[in-house]
Amino acid sequence: MMTRVVNRTFRSGARVSACVALLVLAATIPLDAQRGRGGAAGPAASPRQAAPIDLTGYWVSPIIEDWKYRMVIPNKGVFDGIPLSAEGRKVGMAWDPIADEKAGEQCRAYGAAGIMRLPGRLHITWQDDSTLRVDTDTGTQTRIFAFRPQSAAEPSWQGQSLAQWNVPGRSLKVVTTNLKAGYVRRNGAPYSSRAVVTEYWELHTLPNKEEWLTVTTKVEDAAYFTRPYLTSSDFKKLPNSVGWSPTACSTK
Amino acid sequence: MNRTTTIGWRAVALLLGAITATVLSVRTGAQGGGGRAPDIAGEWRLDQGEDPGQPSLSDYLGLAFNEAGRLRADTTPESIWGTPEYQCRPHSAPHQWRGVGGTRILKELDPISRDILGFRLQFMRSLDRPIFLDNREHPPAYAPHSWSGFSTAQWEGHTLKVTTTHLKDGFLKRGGPQTSDMLTMTEYITRHDDIMTIVQVVDDPIYLDEPYVLSITYTYDPTAGPATENCTGSAFAENGGTDRHHVPHFLPGQNSGIGEFLKTEDWIPVEASRGGVKTIYPEYRAVLAGTTTTAALTVPVSRSANDVAKRIADQSPRDGQVHVLPVQGNVYMLVADGTNITASVGRDGIAVVNTGSAQMSDKVLTALSELARAAVTPPVPNACFGANCPSAFGSPAWSSPFFNALVTAPRAPQGMRYVINTSAAPEHVGGNAKLAAAATFRRAGGAGGFGGATRDLGATATIVAHEGVLASLSTPPGKGTPAPAAAWPSETFFDEFHKLSEYVNGEPLILYRASAANTDGDSFVFFRHSEVIAAGNLLSTVSYPLIDTEKGGTIQGVIDGLNHILDLAVAEYRAQGGTWIVPGRGRLCDTADVASYRNMLVMIRDRVRDLKKKGMTLEQVRAARPTLDFDGRYGSATGAWTTDMFVSAVYRSL
Repeated sequence: MMTRVVNRTFRSGARVSACVALLVLAATIPLDAQRGRGGAAGPAASPRQAAPIDLTGYWVSPIIEDWKYRMVIPNKGVFDGIPLSAEGRKVGMAWDPIADEKAGEQCRAYGAAGIMRLPGRLHITWQDDSTLRVDTDTGTQTRIFAFRPQSAAEPSWQGQSLAQWNVPGRSLKVVTTNLKAGYVRRNGAPYSSRAVVTEYWELHTLPNKEEWLTVTTKVEDAAYFTRPYLTSSDFKKLPNSVGWSPTACSTK
Repeated sequence: MNRTTTIGWRAVALLLGAITATVLSVRTGAQGGGGRAPDIAGEWRLDQGEDPGQPSLSDYLGLAFNEAGRLRADTTPESIWGTPEYQCRPHSAPHQWRGVGGTRILKELDPISRDILGFRLQFMRSLDRPIFLDNREHPPAYAPHSWSGFSTAQWEGHTLKVTTTHLKDGFLKRGGPQTSDMLTMTEYITRHDDIMTIVQVVDDPIYLDEPYVLSITYTYDPTAGPATENCTGSAFAENGGTDRHHVPHFLPGQNSGIGEFLKTEDWIPVEASRGGVKTIYPEYRAVLAGTTTTAALTVPVSRSANDVAKRIADQSPRDGQVHVLPVQGNVYMLVADGTNITASVGRDGIAVVNTGSAQMSDKVLTALSELARAAVTPPVPNACFGANCPSAFGSPAWSSPFFNALVTAPRAPQGMRYVINTSAAPEHVGGNAKLAAAATFRRAGGAGGFGGATRDLGATATIVAHEGVLASLSTPPGKGTPAPAAAWPSETFFDEFHKLSEYVNGEPLILYRASAANTDGDSFVFFRHSEVIAAGNLLSTVSYPLIDTEKGGTIQGVIDGLNHILDLAVAEYRAQGGTWIVPGRGRLCDTADVASYRNMLVMIRDRVRDLKKKGMTLEQVRAARPTLDFDGRYGSATGAWTTDMFVSAVYRSL
């Protein structure tokens, strides 16, 4: 009899404890994580639903740093700040923009390793629930961020990008490979087709209430760099598409 | 069956409990985010992949300069570092992340909870920069500014958001661009794997048309860290020969080094090298392409979140209240409805420098009484037991001081001993009569020569000032209404300096005359042991100095007075702290702040003198705006002391 009472009491206590734990747990898990940012309940959240930050919209890049390397094309051989190896420097000194035009390679400076440094606007949208799309008006390029591994494709200016949310960190990590060789600076500072571009995308709301996007870019290229080339590029969110001005790639 | 069910519920309860504890633990560790933020402490290397090297002189590319910012940069040479007060100046906070050398971030932990209380940042040529995570508030606007400022932080996800105020004026980056002391800085520090990204927002509407947003990347490297650098400056400014007061600067339009760098970096357009908000947006490419002009361009300019006008006003609040700021030693700064009173409070009683307006006297006295009570009844730890412990009167007694303190009332605080006036300005003498009357010591006066008979003046403090103050307050009939006699100085001096005849609260007080400065009756007061100087109207952090040319004031006299203060004052370390200087109005200052104010006045003096030499009339000089780059900080279009009045006074006194 005593045992039954104890058992019943304990069983009841365990049920209560479990329920309390469940309630506390439920209250503890962020709503975002339970439902995705969009709040939809149900099965595993898609990358779009799980997004901890909203990158979509129009963004403009004020050119505060490296103005003389980004807004205009510096002279041949001005590679300050870029950790080019002797081989990379040699290739850079052979830069011939006219030859690039003739070869139809005028987009060499608009590849994934360099495009974020160019002045212009971004238009970020969800192509589908698992694919983030970044269009640039400068050079009219499109970057595709897939959240699942893709099948192999031909090398391209924008390569293939695999994206991953850092949900608690509220950032996006993007690794891009399978690139065509291009330039990290418009004066022919090269990266090779072996380059790997790792980016971290983060958002901040400034004291003036503006939303800013910062993309930290690490370009690793054993062919032309002595160490990873690090930059960070800042974009300000715009309310609309005013100023969106698609232009073709140019070597001038 | 029952047993199985019981075990099942136990298992579920334990499992859920464990999960809950884990989740709670992780969230607590995240300090506001979800999941613990990666540790940012450690040694970090800057590879300078962006804006490599030191910028060239007059390279303003990418800066949203307004007119004032551009003029200030053009006229401030790098050799300003050579002035004695700036030779050990650290890198300004906005520049530190970009300075050469690495960064060290140290964690400050609570020894019991092990929570992170804050971080300390170390850079080359810098003071340690503390960042507080313990929810403390920022100091009031009248508190001093420092090279590192005052930083608080909070976590946003895995990003540490740092807000910094109370920065001194300095430079945005090398090559000329300056910052005002009104800038605010917000930083977002995020670690991504082994990379740390810092997004820096410098909001300084005095010199910029929009906030300066810059991001910098560091790489984790245990072998890196900040480079060391010693300060071994010479005694005199470059180009100044043996003149320790020389302030190197260029007159507007006379800096021949502007654009020099374009000779080697010839792909850069001249217009863009001068900065400007329109040059930093992609739209500017149309100007470069020749399809439009800068004037015709529209760009999405950001607005400032920094209400500078309010922040300047808050340094000298006209709120009908008295705010007390402990300065150093026995000395306090009382901010009394828009004017500062410096007070020495201790066992000898009270000595004040200036008395505020008459309307504020009761509140000033209340504040001083509270300070006096605290000064004579400090908490005394019980360090003596037995018959030989000193009594309240100093001789051995049967009870310890601790016991006496418990069973008796403390000694009544002493009243006002000295009232010192640095000038006859109404905000300095308005409370003379009432504050002087709050004395406990009786004073004799009216002696007919040495050894002659005296009469008892009752309990009143001695009022000390330069004789010019007495002359102003006792204006002869027909030349205005004299102040009540009780407000007049009872002890005057006419020499270069005057020492009080006795120590007050353990230190000598010395009055120094500032000839032909704001008026011809000004002085400042040195608290020689506490290392505090009450500057009177020589210094104001909320306006240009008031110069009454009708009463003998001159711009050169103000500059000389400030130079004298700089000669007496000594910085504690890295051109910061040490001797504190209480301005007539505004926030508490140190040597670097006084130097900054002096530098500004020298630049304005030389500009006005140059224009006057060219034969310009006062109206033409005003129209040339010789104070343009300082008007946002110190100027005023309205009120009792406008920019026009200041320029007129400078013009007339040269």
